[in-house]
Amino acid sequence: MVERVRGIKFHKKQDVAIVGAGITLFRRRLNETGKELSYYAVKQALEEAGLDISDIEMVVMGSAPDAFDGVHMKGEYLLDGSGGSNKPYMRFFVGGGTGVFAPIAGYWHVASGLADVCLVVTEEKMSSSHPHPQSAFKYIWDPILDRPLNPNLIWIFALEMRRYMHVHNIKHEDIALVSVKNKANALDHPSAQLAAKITVEDVLNSEPMSLPVRRLDVSPPSDGASALIMVAPHIARQLTDEPVWVDGVGWALDTTWWTNRDLYFPRYVAEAAKMAYKMAHVTDPRKEIDVAEPYDPFDYKELHHMEGLGLARKGEAPILTREGVTARDGDLPVCPSGGLLGVGNPIAATMGVKVAELYWQLSYRAGKRQVAREVTTGVTQAWGDLMQVGTVVVLSNKR
Amino acid sequence: MVFNEKITNPAELRHVQGRIELYWIYTSGEAGDVFFKKLRDEGKFTASKCRKCGHVFFPPRIYCEFDFSETEYMEISGEGCVLAFSVISYDSDGNRLEKPEIYALIGMDGTDGKIIHLLGEIEPENIETGMKVVPVLKPKDQREGKITDILYFKPVS
Repeated sequence: MVERVRGIKFHKKQDVAIVGAGITLFRRRLNETGKELSYYAVKQALEEAGLDISDIEMVVMGSAPDAFDGVHMKGEYLLDGSGGSNKPYMRFFVGGGTGVFAPIAGYWHVASGLADVCLVVTEEKMSSSHPHPQSAFKYIWDPILDRPLNPNLIWIFALEMRRYMHVHNIKHEDIALVSVKNKANALDHPSAQLAAKITVEDVLNSEPMSLPVRRLDVSPPSDGASALIMVAPHIARQLTDEPVWVDGVGWALDTTWWTNRDLYFPRYVAEAAKMAYKMAHVTDPRKEIDVAEPYDPFDYKELHHMEGLGLARKGEAPILTREGVTARDGDLPVCPSGGLLGVGNPIAATMGVKVAELYWQLSYRAGKRQVAREVTTGVTQAWGDLMQVGTVVVLSNKR
Repeated sequence: MVFNEKITNPAELRHVQGRIELYWIYTSGEAGDVFFKKLRDEGKFTASKCRKCGHVFFPPRIYCEFDFSETEYMEISGEGCVLAFSVISYDSDGNRLEKPEIYALIGMDGTDGKIIHLLGEIEPENIETGMKVVPVLKPKDQREGKITDILYFKPVS
């Protein structure tokens, strides 16, 4: 074992601020190419920040499996629409976790001092793949042990949801409340694909897909893109009086042998959150976090992830939801954007409803979606790879 | 981008079709060889135990992923208990199944590991989390050394 030097951990060259964000429409199918979607998102982020593409020094691209767009090494393909031509440019990819991992990569570009102005772009065009984008997920499984059984993501999540319900004795009604809340929140999001006023009964009576998972427990496949601009403090001060700061970042992966995890608790999120909270000096997340955007591709996942993030004790997240604590006007608003369940799930591009939403909330630019309570610190998180990566970012508007 | 436009058939847009012509040959590896040969030839199940920390891996592996030491193979019963299950209405291409299938996460006795597989000889309403199950294998002459040599797991009668 090597000896560690005290105080060296998380050493950075400079602080990192977010000064602009952009998001396209999220839709099941769009005519625009992935490059065009990226372009729209970047254009919007540049406008919000008051920057020109020539101000951008480095570009981070986040996009999930090549199989969706059907272009092998799609990072290179998406280069021009992302504003990366003739610049240091790299694509990052941790499956569904990419939407929060890409901004983590943007963070270290700036924190290290390599860049003062870094553009982060995320894109997904799931509708290119046929017969259904779900088929791409057939090929993430172990080819020897899992794939001959024809697994698909939804039934794997059904096992996890069942395990979570069993361990904590949670009813489907309690889980369905998340879907009701997020789809209603999405009514105020201009990008939303599946915003709706629905009831718990609608969820419980929706079509069974892979029980206990029903149609309205699930987020849709989507096309879309989003963008963020991350800058050094001396740049932020020139652009805005209200930058939002990246206080902490964390990521972790649990074992690839997913059958060897106990599925009721997302350890990958807990480990990632531990890293991010340590960096951000957050010691009691339930008290110190004012607003949260955990990853919600399924309704139970919001609850699962809240517990992983320490925003609720194990098994407590459904109770907080039922009591309205996680509503937009609650004490701890969760997914005020409408989340993946309401706005849509273009895998990596969900950065636009996770990190970008948190930025808009903390800079008081969320408009009709602005949460009722005063906010200074928020946490956002995504999840992916073989259901094993947790990616966490803590943002704050105080310095 | 048009806000109120909803595209349902992308083939009506200007488009080209494409596919990637590749196929793959996946080898089962060292531990996989041991596991699947034993399953095919003797109908028996193998796990592996870390020589250092004692963690018992199922399916077996040649290394311990936690402390990176070697493991040793051990025979296990192949029996286990249902930790979670799901009733599946669609196949992976999104087509409705005529008869729903039941998949379960099964904790394997004598190991720290689990497996996913089908449940058989039981109706969905009779499944309980925690129930004991045993594997049902294909007849020996039909076994190929694949995970599908296990037809399904059934409740202990």
